[in-house]
Amino acid sequence: MKNMKFLLLLVFIISGSAYAQKKVITGTILNKETGKPILGVNIMADKSKSGTSSNAKGEYSINLKSTSTLLIFSCIGYTTQTILIEDKSVIDVNMIPSYTDNTEVVVIGYGTQKRADVTGAISKYKNDKLDEAPVSRLDQALQGKIAGVQVNNTSSLAGDAPKVTVRGISSIYAGASPLVVVDGQPVADGLAYINMADIESVEILKDAASAAIYGSRGASGVILLTTKSGKIDKPRYKFKYSVGFKTPYKKYDVMTYTEYMNNLFYEASLKSLDTSIAAPLESAIASNNERAGYIVEQTLLGGKGTNWQNLALQTGLAKNLQLSASGGKSGLKYFISGGYQKDQSMMIHSNYEKFNIRTKIDLDLSKKVKVVFNINPSYSKKESPSENFTNFVRYPSFMPAYHNELTAENVHQLSQWENIIPGDFAQPRHFSEIYYSGYMPDGSFWAPTGTSDPFNSSTNSPLSSILNSSIIANEYRAQSSAELTIKLMKGLDFKSLATNYVNMSNTLNWSNKNAFADGLVSKGIYINSSSVDLLSENTFNYTKNIKDHSINALLGFTTQKTNTNKDQTTGLNYPSDDIRTLNNATQIDKAGTFGSRIKVGLISYLGRVNYSYLNKYLLSASFRTDGSSYFGPGNKWGTFPSVSLGWIANKENFLKDIDWLSKLKFRTSYGVSGNNRILDFGFLDLLYPSNYSFGDGTGTNTPGQATSMTIRSNPDITWERTFQNNYGIEIALFKSKINLNVDFYKSKTDRLLLQQSAMAFTGVPLSWNNIGSLKNTGIELDLSTVNITTSNFKWTTSANISHSENVILELGEEAYLINQGERNEIYKNQVGSPLIQYYGFKTNGVWLSQAEIDAAKANGLSSTFNNAFVPGQLKIVDVDNNNIIDNNDRTNIGSPYPDFTWGITNTCNYKSVDLSFTFQGVQGGSLINGDPNYDETKKLVKVYNTNRWISPMNPGDGYTPNYNKSAFNWMLTDYVVEDASYYSLRELNLGYTLPASTVESLNLTSVRIYLSAQNLYFKSAKNYRGINPEGRMTSGVYGSSLIGGYQRGSFPIPKTILFGIDLNF
Amino acid sequence: MKYIFNFLTIFFFFSIVSCNKNINIYPVSNLYDATFYKNIDEIDVALTGCYNGLQKPLYEEWSMTELRSDNSIMGNPTSGSSDNKELSDLDMFMPNTYHEGIYNYWLHTYYNIYNVNKVLKSIEVNYKQSEGVLLYDSLLIPVSIEDRKRVAAEATFIRAYHYFNLVRLFGGVFLIHTPTSPTEAKLINRESTDEIYKLIIADLNNTINYGNSAKFNAINNNDLGRVNTWCAKALLAKVYLTLNRKSEAIILLNDIINNSTYSLQPTYKEVFSITNEMNSEILFAVRYKAGSLGLGSPFANMFAPNGSGLAVVNGDGQGYNYPSYELETSYLTTDPRFANNILVYITKHYVNKYISDMAIADDAENDWPVIRYADVLLMLAEAQGYNASSINLINQIRIRSGLTALTTSTINSVALFEKALSDERRLEFAFENQRWFDLVRFNTTFTTLTAEQVMKDHFTIMYPKHYGKYPAPALTLEQLKSFVTAEHLLLPIPQREIDINTKIVIPQNPGY
Repeated sequence: MKNMKFLLLLVFIISGSAYAQKKVITGTILNKETGKPILGVNIMADKSKSGTSSNAKGEYSINLKSTSTLLIFSCIGYTTQTILIEDKSVIDVNMIPSYTDNTEVVVIGYGTQKRADVTGAISKYKNDKLDEAPVSRLDQALQGKIAGVQVNNTSSLAGDAPKVTVRGISSIYAGASPLVVVDGQPVADGLAYINMADIESVEILKDAASAAIYGSRGASGVILLTTKSGKIDKPRYKFKYSVGFKTPYKKYDVMTYTEYMNNLFYEASLKSLDTSIAAPLESAIASNNERAGYIVEQTLLGGKGTNWQNLALQTGLAKNLQLSASGGKSGLKYFISGGYQKDQSMMIHSNYEKFNIRTKIDLDLSKKVKVVFNINPSYSKKESPSENFTNFVRYPSFMPAYHNELTAENVHQLSQWENIIPGDFAQPRHFSEIYYSGYMPDGSFWAPTGTSDPFNSSTNSPLSSILNSSIIANEYRAQSSAELTIKLMKGLDFKSLATNYVNMSNTLNWSNKNAFADGLVSKGIYINSSSVDLLSENTFNYTKNIKDHSINALLGFTTQKTNTNKDQTTGLNYPSDDIRTLNNATQIDKAGTFGSRIKVGLISYLGRVNYSYLNKYLLSASFRTDGSSYFGPGNKWGTFPSVSLGWIANKENFLKDIDWLSKLKFRTSYGVSGNNRILDFGFLDLLYPSNYSFGDGTGTNTPGQATSMTIRSNPDITWERTFQNNYGIEIALFKSKINLNVDFYKSKTDRLLLQQSAMAFTGVPLSWNNIGSLKNTGIELDLSTVNITTSNFKWTTSANISHSENVILELGEEAYLINQGERNEIYKNQVGSPLIQYYGFKTNGVWLSQAEIDAAKANGLSSTFNNAFVPGQLKIVDVDNNNIIDNNDRTNIGSPYPDFTWGITNTCNYKSVDLSFTFQGVQGGSLINGDPNYDETKKLVKVYNTNRWISPMNPGDGYTPNYNKSAFNWMLTDYVVEDASYYSLRELNLGYTLPASTVESLNLTSVRIYLSAQNLYFKSAKNYRGINPEGRMTSGVYGSSLIGGYQRGSFPIPKTILFGIDLNF
Repeated sequence: MKYIFNFLTIFFFFSIVSCNKNINIYPVSNLYDATFYKNIDEIDVALTGCYNGLQKPLYEEWSMTELRSDNSIMGNPTSGSSDNKELSDLDMFMPNTYHEGIYNYWLHTYYNIYNVNKVLKSIEVNYKQSEGVLLYDSLLIPVSIEDRKRVAAEATFIRAYHYFNLVRLFGGVFLIHTPTSPTEAKLINRESTDEIYKLIIADLNNTINYGNSAKFNAINNNDLGRVNTWCAKALLAKVYLTLNRKSEAIILLNDIINNSTYSLQPTYKEVFSITNEMNSEILFAVRYKAGSLGLGSPFANMFAPNGSGLAVVNGDGQGYNYPSYELETSYLTTDPRFANNILVYITKHYVNKYISDMAIADDAENDWPVIRYADVLLMLAEAQGYNASSINLINQIRIRSGLTALTTSTINSVALFEKALSDERRLEFAFENQRWFDLVRFNTTFTTLTAEQVMKDHFTIMYPKHYGKYPAPALTLEQLKSFVTAEHLLLPIPQREIDINTKIVIPQNPGY
């Protein structure tokens, strides 16, 4: 408590007080190569705890004690200089740019390390212009920037998380995403809540040796986020604002019903000219309901169909406002920031807003005791649409969004709809059971005997559903930490970190009365959840240098506890759609009311030694043992050791004199890391409420319990382990103008934690198991070059490319596993092959005619399928050559893994103008496009109908089948397996920094205005027929790592353009 | 140095204290099976869970039975929705082996069998397959033998009911009579239908021996809806009939008629009235309960016509299980069963049997009858075969519905008798998931009528009105009829079961 007061006092007295001054030194700081002034160079004097920094003109002025003897000039990107003061009062400095900073420090698990001493595979990404990227989340901004880190935008809704993987797949269960650690605290949703502008640097621990210090959670890589801290300086203020908009890069080309029917009749006319077949019956050209739809579009909608896709889309708006203040004095540094971010998606009713505040204070309580406080509350609000974009894409164009005079009059024919007036939402049922007749595209008059249902659906149109419902999630998060460091003796520090991460959210999933169908009562689903994560971390850190030996040792104990409470209540039937609180619900819906209380605990002991000899020979070894509550008695503890070696060869005498060689370093490492992220209590079979009513009348509800419908436990499950070797080489040439890092890795994961398909006759579809092993190999290449530096122009390039491949080594006693997706498409996990392979039928074009089928049958070809032989439909290849087309002809027809992923960023500065642009791409791998297997999209999207088979004389391209519902449909064939490669101009950033003179007249330090764009160009593979090769289904069964690569009705790629301004003062 | 020592002491003190407590965590918001099933109260709760498990398979069962029979068709031939496509495949005898409805039915049925097996294992009532008997083995938990018999009697009926449906739909299935781990399951293959029936008969005899034998008029109010010996006898009679063991069926059926006090309701409508649940005609029903308890019936919405707004039910209908034209026309318009079972919305005919006023969608009150007294009467007629007594049994049903009685002069041949009995069952039990099983059973109990012929006739009648309207290229009637084969009377074993077992080869049913 006493300390608290002391702290508060300090906080209040920080603002500009004056103290004893003995001497003033001024000067100008220039770039030695370009002769330009440098902004933001830190100037510190010895014996004095105050410091300052240079302004936009490179000028500085520092007050110091007369006892001070030297000044230290430091700035990121330049070599630090120390200059003796002697009796000078003006000191001008020429700073020398350094392309690799030898003093650069890298954050590693539970500490930091000099870049030069690092022996593991760690990538660092500094927040240079990261916060100007036209995206709303940090993970999206990292796409294409780091070798071995794959970011996949599976969804484009506001605030949705992309899929992030580090070095391919080392674990099969869904928890195979990297561990995210924010300022020392593992935070499950760290990438979601962190404010990009607060990030100082992002470090990624890629190899097992670096990640092993995180033990049971390190197997899929670790992302360390470090937030900004204050520096000893006068108060610095920053204001940053950007605004921009998003438009779809490409939309589906959907036919209107008029186009669709014209096409059918055109094809019928071609068929009637084909003498090899009977002329089509009138009833076979189009069904009565389709004809009725055409009549509606022609007569009631004036021949112009509704573009439902456009009704779902809007121009998205993105706004970002950031403010920060930072600085520090003797013994106290502070960084305070506030941010507001708004991201409105291109999809209607998809919005994301976030407010953040962060305060970080570094305090030196005494020479021995240091404290860091960090508190970061945030509030975010996410609105999600209640309907998928897909539902709009596949909605027929003859359906109007709202009734007009004509359609209203039409539906008045039925007494049930007599109250409909123009402007009301049009629903499919309004048009049903009505007698339609009229002219068809071929001029014939169609007059059926009965009524028709143009669109047989009992649910409301997606537009009326989306506008009559809302899903709003409010999230309140606060991450806070207190870190105490005590210098126990020279070289020995004790650090105790206590962190607390609270995440509370409340969601209201509301639907108005009649929102989805007539007669539905209003419904509110209230979901309240709270999660509290407490971490205590205690470490001893010992550093000692004895002559040529330097040693750093770490010993620690940590314990973490997470309590998650979740309650969901569903209320029904409210007096008005405008009152949405639970107290007004007439009824509680038991089927929609749940609660859960989950506790998770982890205890760990860890240790590490870093040793270097002559600053050339490096050794690092670490050890961690974890006990986790996820596993049952006897299986809770796991041990994760690692060792790594490094050799800085260019410091050897025989290389020292080669002056074009700035660095040559070899690294190798071996480590073990684990994965414990399974569902809670995978070792126990939980029971769930399963009530029933007995007795007279309508019965009395009686409590019952039953087993899980989804998964069976396994009492023996335990840690999954990944063993990884990493070999790295770092080369810098020509005064570090060329830097190349190459890493090669090989890993093996065993005891795979997986949800294994169980025989359904055991009563569940899945069971937990620890079987099998998986091998990953890969290579990563990072290249950065300084291409040109002249006084006015500078051009640098950084490029990365990585390749990884995986193979299943064994699956316990199984030869393969089989998993099914939403359309029963099969994903096979087979020993000796990549983790996922699409398992289905090969096709060889379409059957061109009945004659061709008859000939094949005459040759003995038969099938167990009712629908294998239909002219104009896919021709299945008899893979096993036994002349029978059956399930034994299924084979591997593709795999989702790309051959390589790459990114290249070029940055140019010309005078005050800067330009940077990133190309990013994925090469190889395939996806399953669900659309050509889905009736509505297959029928109405042009690309699936162009050049299709019509009749033997008009076979189209011989590969595109005619739309046919009863044919060989929905079985997974290679017809829907498409190339998932793409490349894009992912980011472009063009900035202009105002001249120093202008800025100074405005009393500012610097001003920059910029334009930032995303996806200005996007190129997908030639045989890809969808609109977004990055889109993937990720929910439901697609959450499993054994199933992947499926997309259907993907959301358009956003093309974003932002304008921003950045003020510093 | 002392300074360091103090720190270390504190540090390790905290490490040890917080240690195991932090990671020895058990569920707080769920019960779990390792500590459950330990006393009779808990076992009763688990047994209630098994009753609830009867609901899930019914969700698909109508599509395996009514839709595949001549009773109902898919309402909308031109719809492209996936549900529609899958259901049409069943309707037209062309399901593929990946059929999702078939898989779900299979999974949900076996899920409940697992729960029943858990209950039976907890009281050590084990099936000895070699002898085809249930053994009451020694038990460690304190549950009395009376309680064990009471619980087991109810549980074995539920298990027999599930297996009886499975064996009739899929043939020789996997015989799981004790909780089986996923690893053990990989070594289990299909059993013969004989073995399946052996378990069914043993299970039902267990219910008959130890179940509640109170007559209907003496059943404790709280026990209404629970399994008793009468429903077990009726189900066993149907099992015997299916196996063509008619004499054994006759004994059981006469026992029910003479001793149970179950009886016909005065009118057909009252049998299904939600204010008259568990009436004297209902030997067993799967119960539903409205009131947003998660126990309401979905069938009102499933079967109400698609696009009817709130004219029929709140929340509109899905338009499944539409009555076939030929079923409708076989009712006399004056037959009260017609109006009870089928109604019309504008031009759409739909199943009205399970529709009642309900506040919220998918939450109807109507129970699903499994065995009715009317069935007992007609089963007896079927077991006895063509004679005057059998015609009288049929007449009991006809007279209740105000139809003229049949006589031996009008029904003067076995063929006419079999036709009359078949028709009566069809009209009486329409949309109660009986028709398909009846047709298949008639293949053995009747001599003049086959399921294949009935279905071919159905396609012939319905082709111009329905199946011929499927979009181009429509199947020809000949193609459609060619799908009706003896092999296709069984459904395919879900492909997934065959695919995922890499240890042993599981045979698919022939014809798939």
